[in-house]
Amino acid sequence: MKSVWWKILCVLLLLYTVVGGFLMDVPRLHILNESIRNTFFHVPMWLGMMTLLLISAIYSVLYLKKPSLRYDVFASEFAKTGILFGVLGVVTGMIWAKFTWTSAWSGDPKQNNAAIALLIYLAYLLLRNSLKDPQQRSRISAVYNILAFSTLIPLLYILPAQTDSLHPGSGGNAAFADIDLDNRLRVVFYPAVIGWTLLGIWLSTIGIRIQNIKNRFDYIKK
Amino acid sequence: MLFSEISGLLKKEITIELRQKYAINGILLYLAGTVFICYLSINLQATQLHPIIWNALYWIILLFTAVNAVAKSFLHESAGLMTYYYTIASGQSIIASKIIYYSLLLTGLAVIGLGFYGLVLGNPVQNPGLFIINIMLGSVGMATTLSLVSSIAAKAQNNQTLLAILGLPLLIPVLLMSIKISKNALDGLPWASSYDELAVLGSIDAIVCALAIILFPYIWRS
Amino acid sequence: MKKLIVSVLLLASLQGFPQENYESPENTRVEMADQLRSSGKIYVVVAVLGTIMAGIILYTVMLDRRVAKLEREPENR
Repeated sequence: MKSVWWKILCVLLLLYTVVGGFLMDVPRLHILNESIRNTFFHVPMWLGMMTLLLISAIYSVLYLKKPSLRYDVFASEFAKTGILFGVLGVVTGMIWAKFTWTSAWSGDPKQNNAAIALLIYLAYLLLRNSLKDPQQRSRISAVYNILAFSTLIPLLYILPAQTDSLHPGSGGNAAFADIDLDNRLRVVFYPAVIGWTLLGIWLSTIGIRIQNIKNRFDYIKK
Repeated sequence: MLFSEISGLLKKEITIELRQKYAINGILLYLAGTVFICYLSINLQATQLHPIIWNALYWIILLFTAVNAVAKSFLHESAGLMTYYYTIASGQSIIASKIIYYSLLLTGLAVIGLGFYGLVLGNPVQNPGLFIINIMLGSVGMATTLSLVSSIAAKAQNNQTLLAILGLPLLIPVLLMSIKISKNALDGLPWASSYDELAVLGSIDAIVCALAIILFPYIWRS
Repeated sequence: MKKLIVSVLLLASLQGFPQENYESPENTRVEMADQLRSSGKIYVVVAVLGTIMAGIILYTVMLDRRVAKLEREPENR
């Protein structure tokens, strides 16, 4: 966790993303125009959020199998950064939508799904706050975390069936599907996803280290 | 062995319910009151109500009634009683009996609710069979999720509010699917067009039930 | 630091990086910031990236405050 190579990789990937994202050649599309470059910044927020929440859920499962405070700290910190990315994803999505889809919230399934994910995980934080006994807190919140994530996954399949989406790549919008296959975007997109996710993991590990020190202090005080 | 435990617990739930009539009556009154308030607020004749609104409103009323009904599941049982249950039955039987009981209760409430609702706001259901099946599947989903969340909330201080906060987002998939199928039933579409949604709802129910049975023993231990 | 590099490179690109590969005949009419001018909604991307940077920086500040609080704790017990 303290090793440095992946942090350097993260910074390099993000630098590449920002520079390449602005300078590289992108497909020309009506309505989207230049804002298609948001693919490198907005979409990785979504993918990063799901990855971080998945990691959090995995650590919750690990905790239930073998109750160790370490797992609980991991679960909660990854959930926190997952929420951060979720918020950023929703806000940037709204900004992007305001200029391309004309309204900030257009009932798009991905938007709704992200909002629901935020509701669920903010409730998770609330739950953790309202439980006092540390062991009980870890156990109960681990259960809720697993339940929450398992409910979130079917939602990904259900919501798109509800409405036609303005989102590229789903519903009635075929345009982005062509772009998904466009190699020019892929060249920056894949590294971008990895870079942003690594950043999320980095922030989580910092939070974990802080929490561990805090726990050690509390333990010493007793 | 397990079966006898479950049926024993189930019988106990039903007997308690029948003895303490105020609980069921309370929920029925809540249901009637909510339906009536909605009717008064909408202020339209039965035939003028658009099926979409009729449908959505019906399910929202059911949702909140369900939250209220299941709220007393774990929240109002005393600690001594809980310890007693712990000694006589395994966690899985307890949660299984609660799920079965509340599924039946919610189905019954939904049908009665449909009666009240139809009385004041009309009953445009064209495919009653599908509607009933949908209610049953939806009730199972809601009952399971709410029972599990209720047991989680029981451990925390902020009981009633926490139940709503934790439970409502998790109920969204079940709710959305039920609303969709219910709309199909209203429109009198053939069964075949709802097979996908029924399958999804069924699988969500299966997932949540399985999770509840697996996870409940972890909550139980305290 | 990143922004500095980006802006330097942006200025450099003004020397002329003609975007050659068009996919379809109608493309010449689509407004793109061929030399990264403000037309073509480039500012949306800037706003998005700015928001993300702001969010991450805020979170980092929050982490920093948590560390600061720990450092201030009387550790000798």
